[in-house]
Amino acid sequence: MTATQTRPPAATDRPVRPHGKTPLYKKERPLWMLLPGGILMLAVIVVPLLVGVFIAMLDLDQYTLRQWFSAPFVGFANFAEAITDSPLLHSIWISASLAVLVTAVTVPIGVAAAISTQNRFPGRGLVRSIYLIPYVLPAFVVGTFFRTMLQPQGVVNAIFHTDVLWLNGSASYWALAAVMVWTSWPFVYLLSLAGLQAVDLEVHEAASLDGATWWIKLRYVIFPYLRGPLSLAVIIAILHNINNFTLPFVLFGIPLPSSVEVMPVLTYIASFQSFRFGLSAAMAICSLVIVAIPLFVYLRAVQLDTGDDARPSRGQRRLQRQQTGAAA
Amino acid sequence: MKRRTLIGSAVVVALAALSLQGCAVVNGSGDDPNTLRVMMGADTTYPKERKQWQQDTAAAFKRTTGADIQWETYSSAQEELTAIQTSVISGQGPDVYAIGTTFTPTAYATGAFVEMGKKQWDAVGGKDRFDPASLGISGPSASKQIGIPLASRPFVMAVNKDLLAQAGITEMPTTWDQLTEDAKATTGDGHYGMAVAYADGFDPWKFVWGMAQNAGNTIVDGQKAEIDTKAVQDAYRTYFDWVTKDGVVDKAGIGWNNAQALAQFADGKAAFFPMTTTTAINSFKNTKVDGKYEFALLPTVPPGATERPADGIDAASILSGDNFVVADYGKKQDLSFQFVKQTTSKQAQLEYYKLFGQLPTNAAAAAELAAQEPTLKPIIDAGKLSKPTAFTGAWSDIQLSLVDVVVQSIPSLKSGEVTDDQLRKRLQDAQKDAQSTLNRQKNGGL
Amino acid sequence: MSAFTSSRTRPTATLTESITSQGGARRHKRPYDTDVTRLLPRWLLITVIAVIIAFIAVPVLYILFGSVNSDVAVARGEYFPTEFTLANYVNIWSTVALGTGLLNSILTAGAVAVASAALAVSTAYVLVRFRFLGRLTFLRGLLALQSIPGTLLLLPVFVVFSNIASATGVQIIGTRWGLFVTYLTFALPFSTWVMVTYLRGLPKELEEAARIDGASSTKILTKIVLPLSWPGIVVSAIFAFLLGWNDVLFSTIMTTPNTRTVAVVLQVLGTAQEGGAVPIYGQMMAASIVCAAPVVALYLVFQRYLVGGLTAGSVK
Repeated sequence: MTATQTRPPAATDRPVRPHGKTPLYKKERPLWMLLPGGILMLAVIVVPLLVGVFIAMLDLDQYTLRQWFSAPFVGFANFAEAITDSPLLHSIWISASLAVLVTAVTVPIGVAAAISTQNRFPGRGLVRSIYLIPYVLPAFVVGTFFRTMLQPQGVVNAIFHTDVLWLNGSASYWALAAVMVWTSWPFVYLLSLAGLQAVDLEVHEAASLDGATWWIKLRYVIFPYLRGPLSLAVIIAILHNINNFTLPFVLFGIPLPSSVEVMPVLTYIASFQSFRFGLSAAMAICSLVIVAIPLFVYLRAVQLDTGDDARPSRGQRRLQRQQTGAAA
Repeated sequence: MKRRTLIGSAVVVALAALSLQGCAVVNGSGDDPNTLRVMMGADTTYPKERKQWQQDTAAAFKRTTGADIQWETYSSAQEELTAIQTSVISGQGPDVYAIGTTFTPTAYATGAFVEMGKKQWDAVGGKDRFDPASLGISGPSASKQIGIPLASRPFVMAVNKDLLAQAGITEMPTTWDQLTEDAKATTGDGHYGMAVAYADGFDPWKFVWGMAQNAGNTIVDGQKAEIDTKAVQDAYRTYFDWVTKDGVVDKAGIGWNNAQALAQFADGKAAFFPMTTTTAINSFKNTKVDGKYEFALLPTVPPGATERPADGIDAASILSGDNFVVADYGKKQDLSFQFVKQTTSKQAQLEYYKLFGQLPTNAAAAAELAAQEPTLKPIIDAGKLSKPTAFTGAWSDIQLSLVDVVVQSIPSLKSGEVTDDQLRKRLQDAQKDAQSTLNRQKNGGL
Repeated sequence: MSAFTSSRTRPTATLTESITSQGGARRHKRPYDTDVTRLLPRWLLITVIAVIIAFIAVPVLYILFGSVNSDVAVARGEYFPTEFTLANYVNIWSTVALGTGLLNSILTAGAVAVASAALAVSTAYVLVRFRFLGRLTFLRGLLALQSIPGTLLLLPVFVVFSNIASATGVQIIGTRWGLFVTYLTFALPFSTWVMVTYLRGLPKELEEAARIDGASSTKILTKIVLPLSWPGIVVSAIFAFLLGWNDVLFSTIMTTPNTRTVAVVLQVLGTAQEGGAVPIYGQMMAASIVCAAPVVALYLVFQRYLVGGLTAGSVK
């Protein structure tokens, strides 16, 4: 294939179909493939979400639960109460700051883990699987045993020779962050591992021919491949950590110490302790909106949605290398 | 090709799985009129006995009614509430629930459970077959009840006989002050007077409630919250001083939950273990304290007094146990009542005690048990002296506020002291929250 | 076709070939230190692995030790067991319906993983390779769906399903396939996004060549894109599997005792009654190890598909 002559096919090319019955005036786009997923998500997520929005506008509590459809309509009163008269904003701040902190710490650990198992060595499969263990353990089990380990006279204080109250007071924020890091870094690891597989052999060869040291190679050649997966990993990890309910619930129980008053537990308490379902739905929706704004800012900033990298595509880079190789 | 066969086999497995699931649709949770759905708390203390009991009960039920029983369980208070909520909101779910007594007010508030009138009481064997004390939390009043008592688990104190003998104590304390004194006398030499769990999600409010009741304060008086009061403040003060000033509780207890306090007692390192029930007996087996402990009534005289004041209530325990409630949305109410009648009969109740160590609510059974086993006397007395918590839909919020006072105080406890000002402020916050919850209740808060 | 499939199954052969073409002459598997694709020097590799494993091991060992210790000892806070007992591993099967739970979970989570990966690949393929009105909205919408907390949807999903049941007579709640549909839908947004990110990195040349040859989109998807995207498929399948395996919130309300998943069963082992006995920590920890084992084992099997060295030489 004379690569230098052919240009990549443009999006408006029309492939000739030998048995073309239907006149294709547009390129063949299998949009029907979107249907199954789309229908499912519509029915099981979007519709209940709308129901949830409706519930948020009702005065739904244990008295009106039975005939929930005829519960009194209060419009935006729940939303107003959620924002002004409840610890919601404080809890969103705590949840979001925790999520960002935890994600920031898990990224280097996850990437290091992925890089360390990229190459074949005896026992690699086993190491890769061991790495997965913290993520696989059920959250409430992790919470239970960390709770025991973090007791004033528990293992953690014994190992570090400290006498800190980890489960209450100001240190509880850091304790929760540490436990969340412990349990969620394999997420970044998995996504980075997938991303690392996309690195071509030729890239490695080129780097070794150029005599690059391991750090240079990592930084300038390999890491750019991780940009896509890591951008995704960061945003999803932040979302998961913001909505993480089980871990703080099991670690601290309710009521929560004020320094770890995270948003999901707050909505849970509103729903399952105070039985104020309308208020709880309003809280969840408020937090959803508040979190969505930075999310979209982030999306535009890393161009995750459009995926338009400034780098040329790999095919074009290969072309360039061949051209320079041929010229040399 | 290796991969192709792997893909192929994965697809085959997936299809097989899906079709298996299709077959499983047949046994859905659709309403089979000949199967009674009963929901009870999961039992991990006596799992084998529980299975046996379920089989025996279902067999007897089938003999008398010809219907089967489908047993469903919840594993935590939250799951219990979720089950109730989802059933209420959709109108389909279990037919009979065995719920904790503290949840009866919530269940009542939903209006989804059958109110027991004369006809219904007769269908379960008559109201007077039950111990009057156990009916205390069946409803807001004697004429509006939904709960049929199943079992009673009153709260008592576990006491280490050896440690008490070493300190020369021969009688159980009957006042909270005396308990503190006895605890001081048994502290030292590597063991403590009391095993108390300050970070437990449930224990703290029970102490405060008990002491306040003894002083005449019921936390909720009609529509008014009574948290910012002297009685409640004294209760918290006593509770906190145990670990800060009196030194009768291990400082590690500030971070404990109930299981850890139990572990300390089971190790023989504490003389008194207040706020426990007979279900803990299983955990004491094969431990250092096995055979060396007995149960005693919790004190009933408020702190700072030697006699109960005139308006004081001799609440030795919270009215604690399980109530049956029958779903209103279900179409099998007759079957449900028969089930309840069967399990609350004298024989069944005695059997229930033998298997699970929970006291009967059937009056005749309780009397026979008291005659047969004198060692049970403190527990049976505790059952008789149990008083219900306020019957209001706001109770779980109020309970949360009471515990919150302790949770917010834990850092101060760790540094050695909770000042009166701090305590007062937290009580005022709790009062505010409790009052607003009470104000929000509909139907006059029941 | 054969060029790149062979490179996928035997990357070292290709490596050998290309090194041979430059003068090296090795016919056997290369040792780690001279592997051209290696990323870290040996000393650093060992350090990193050791540190990470230690980081994981301390708490995990606690679970292991706790599962062979007595419950009261665990409540006391012991790390090393003083009373050694293997009874917990035996008891967990009879205390709760762990066997049924495992079976249900494997069926449900396994089906979710396969279905989610399949749907994710096809949806992502359309989203990445074609342009159409609403494409960006769809992508952004997928991400937005990820941010919805589960507690918000709990009651509404129950309401929607029970209304469908009373309207059509088709029972959803309490069936395995109802749970399967729910988990599949929850897993889709993220699975699709993983595939989107992955597919963006694949070179378009192969697909374009096939299209010029007259292949339909379905054919391109199954014959070209699918084999190339194994790493992405494995990863998104793992996440979907874990969602179905570990979720507690929805499985507690949507299952009957027969269709219970292992997550619900495990919850029962964490039961504690107020003022009652010590929770059965030992059995809870033994059961969680038993529950984690299948997932780790599955990953051990499938992680070999997470190999690098795409399409080396195939485009030439």
